[in-house]
Amino acid sequence: MSTAMGSERLGNFYTGGKTRTRREWRGLKDTWYDYTRWLFIWKTMIKFATNPNNVRGMFRYRWMANYLVAPDFVDRHTEGLRGPQLRIAHQEFDLIVEHMCDTISTLFKADPLIGNDERLSKSIVVFDENMMSHIMNGFPNLRMICIEIPPIYTSSTMCQDGVLHYIDVSQSYGIPGDVCPMPSAELGVAIEDDYPHIGACMVQCNTTCDGSLMANGLEARRFKIPTFQLAVPIRHTQDSVQEYAADEVKNAVRFIEEQTGERFDWDNYFKCMDIFNQETKQMLEWLDLSRSPYPQVIGNNVALYRDATYQVAGGRDARFLEADEEITRLAVEGYKAKALCAPEVRHRAILWGVQAQYYTAFPLWLQNCWGILPLIDMLSLTSTRIFSIDDRDQAMLDMAHLYQNMTMRNRSNGGYEVGVNDLWRFCESFKADMVIMYEHIGCKAMAGYHGIFEEQARERGIKMVWVTHGLMDPRAASRKDMRNDVSRYMHTVLGEEALDASLEDFDDSNAW
Amino acid sequence: MKDLKHLYYLENLLQDANNNLVREAQAGGRLAVGSVCSLIPEVLLSLPGCFPVRLRAPNTGSIDLGTYYMTSMSCECCRALLERAVEGGYKFLDCIIAPDACAQMNRCVENIDLLKLCDKEKFFISYSDVPMKSDETALRHYVKQMRIRVLEQLSGVYGVDVSDAALRAAVLGHNEACRLITAIGEYRKEDNPRITGYEFAVLCTATYCCPKDLLVDKLRETLDELGSRQPDSGKNFRARVVVAGSEIDNPDLIRLIEGSGALVVADRFCFGSLPGRQEIVLNDGEDVLLQICRQYLAWGKCARFMDTAKIEERQSYIDELAKSYHADGIIFEQQKFCDYWGYERALGSRVMRDDYGYPVLSVDLPYAVGTNAQLRTRVQAFVESIEIKNIQGKVTR
Repeated sequence: MSTAMGSERLGNFYTGGKTRTRREWRGLKDTWYDYTRWLFIWKTMIKFATNPNNVRGMFRYRWMANYLVAPDFVDRHTEGLRGPQLRIAHQEFDLIVEHMCDTISTLFKADPLIGNDERLSKSIVVFDENMMSHIMNGFPNLRMICIEIPPIYTSSTMCQDGVLHYIDVSQSYGIPGDVCPMPSAELGVAIEDDYPHIGACMVQCNTTCDGSLMANGLEARRFKIPTFQLAVPIRHTQDSVQEYAADEVKNAVRFIEEQTGERFDWDNYFKCMDIFNQETKQMLEWLDLSRSPYPQVIGNNVALYRDATYQVAGGRDARFLEADEEITRLAVEGYKAKALCAPEVRHRAILWGVQAQYYTAFPLWLQNCWGILPLIDMLSLTSTRIFSIDDRDQAMLDMAHLYQNMTMRNRSNGGYEVGVNDLWRFCESFKADMVIMYEHIGCKAMAGYHGIFEEQARERGIKMVWVTHGLMDPRAASRKDMRNDVSRYMHTVLGEEALDASLEDFDDSNAW
Repeated sequence: MKDLKHLYYLENLLQDANNNLVREAQAGGRLAVGSVCSLIPEVLLSLPGCFPVRLRAPNTGSIDLGTYYMTSMSCECCRALLERAVEGGYKFLDCIIAPDACAQMNRCVENIDLLKLCDKEKFFISYSDVPMKSDETALRHYVKQMRIRVLEQLSGVYGVDVSDAALRAAVLGHNEACRLITAIGEYRKEDNPRITGYEFAVLCTATYCCPKDLLVDKLRETLDELGSRQPDSGKNFRARVVVAGSEIDNPDLIRLIEGSGALVVADRFCFGSLPGRQEIVLNDGEDVLLQICRQYLAWGKCARFMDTAKIEERQSYIDELAKSYHADGIIFEQQKFCDYWGYERALGSRVMRDDYGYPVLSVDLPYAVGTNAQLRTRVQAFVESIEIKNIQGKVTR
């Protein structure tokens, strides 16, 4: 066993069970670092579990069981990593675990069935999943909770079969099996009455797709609190829609003010947006590095974390900026040392389409098994605009821009300019020779470009690898099926052999 | 009943998107404006010198090419339209005015655009953003979009007169066809209607696919004919149903339902008349476009209207229709792979059954339904269940 990246046969750790046979040896320094971070995760979890509300929540809500495997979740997302990438990963994922524990603790404290803190509950504005939170930057006395994130979004990344029950519930209700499993599962939670009934009011948004907005309508029946539907324009690149988008944001602000009695606090808004701008600048640094021969913040180290920073934290949680700065420091250090993210770099890839929630560690597998660098993914390629911190009229347009450019929505809506043309622009800018094209079976928005992608990739000489998945339902296409899609292409089209052959065929069908 | 005089003629018009009346109008120098969604007010496409053609793909067979471009999990209707475009079936169009209403139809149009499947010299596609709510903020946006994305495009590229006077003239012509269709549809309320759902579907669908002004004579004659038409002495149906849901552009589906014993008395679906064939009422004081848009937003029953008030309005509207057309049950349908109506059908079916007490059949449909035996069996079973409930007196509303 050596310290070098790729020194362990990572596939051999999987034996078909829930856990792997042992922890990876990364050399003394990295193994010790990783071990201490593992203990930190356990400390966070134990602290969380000592709160009686959280224990009661564990027994009340079936989705809570998924969070028991948080340490495994972090391990999955650090597999094979060394040096700066390992540390960057822990900066991010450890913070995500902490943040999630905070969110769930608040949720249960306010839950009438558990903590029953009515005052806290009345200070919460419930948002739907995928929705930008920046409007809350103007309400420092209120909290925002994306209600669907703990039961569904994060649950399915923690545990691959974590939300199947809710998908089944939804389909039993009558929702067709061909729709996206995410809103379907979210609706399943509502049907089962497995959302805590909290909040003074709710703001829903026409976020990523038609299915998502439709599920919101059904869910609103269950929450039984005043609900505002924020209808953000679909053709978000057109100048002619911006005024309407800003007007809708104003309507949403007015709604929150009316429901909570709070006034929009411009000073706090601008303060938070200043932090958000600084976070964006950090992200731009990472993207610059990713265009170089020595990318440092790629794949898993950008994907989920960018979601959290961009959408949920939104400049309100100072921990994210601190983590961002530390990530940049580590990344620059890695760049100067010419550290590689894979044992051998063979291809530079853009990941397009929607990632599989049940296999968010897939980009790491691409690195470890085939030396494909997942430079950046579609969901992380969100707005990097720097926003006004003193002009109120511009601020409304800025928020409108953000709500139109929510994670995924900025690509799934808006036309082929952002869904197709931008892909080729990014390929050029990141010097990518390959596209890993996620084909999420239920995503009609991206499916509509299938043939166009094929033809235009061929014209440009880009290697296009289709990876089919079921987003939150591994029964539709398992993790192994996803890997096979890539391996088949690498063998048959490119005639390449794997860097780590043990990762080509292993059994993780029962793993978390 | 004796066949309607113009039924065969109208049926033939529905066999091709580029039908005789479309060709006649184009030969007269008018522009064929392709339309794919009710959210672009038809009347704006009926300005002097233009006429709207709602895109259909009659007699669809294979949709392999559509499937290649959009995958097998996309809406079959959208795939069929794209297939037809690839086959050259829409080359006659002078432009397509499309809202970005549902992602799949938008992708269908974008494929037509990117693949350059319509190649007239001045052909263009305009995409507009249409609101998902019907409040005043949404209305302002709607008006702005229709002005920029519809009127200014038609005027800029083809020099179409988009003045208030021209809009008023378009509304007059539009209203004439709507008035006739509505009057014809009223006969469906009769105890033993003198018009079948299929016949009505043929008439109504034709108004979406042909220049209305070239059709009104036939509609007027049909209305006159119906005035004295005698229905068969015995009822040829066992139950009366409202059909609600997504796009039905093929009257054969209605014929299939009626062949299974259920008379379709109300057509609350895309390409139907409820809503879709109301008259536009204009006053003299306000901007004409504003008035048109306001009425379209108010009527709009598309599942994409996302606010709770609109969701509930859709359900109560079906209840109103069922009552006024004396329906025994409701058939909720959706095109397979339609996200909007997939959810709406699930919710609507439950609400209409549990909250309103109607027997409900909930089905998803392939685009080319033709002689779908499975659907026939389901409708037959539904009709039987209504009869049994009636016998047992269990339908309580």
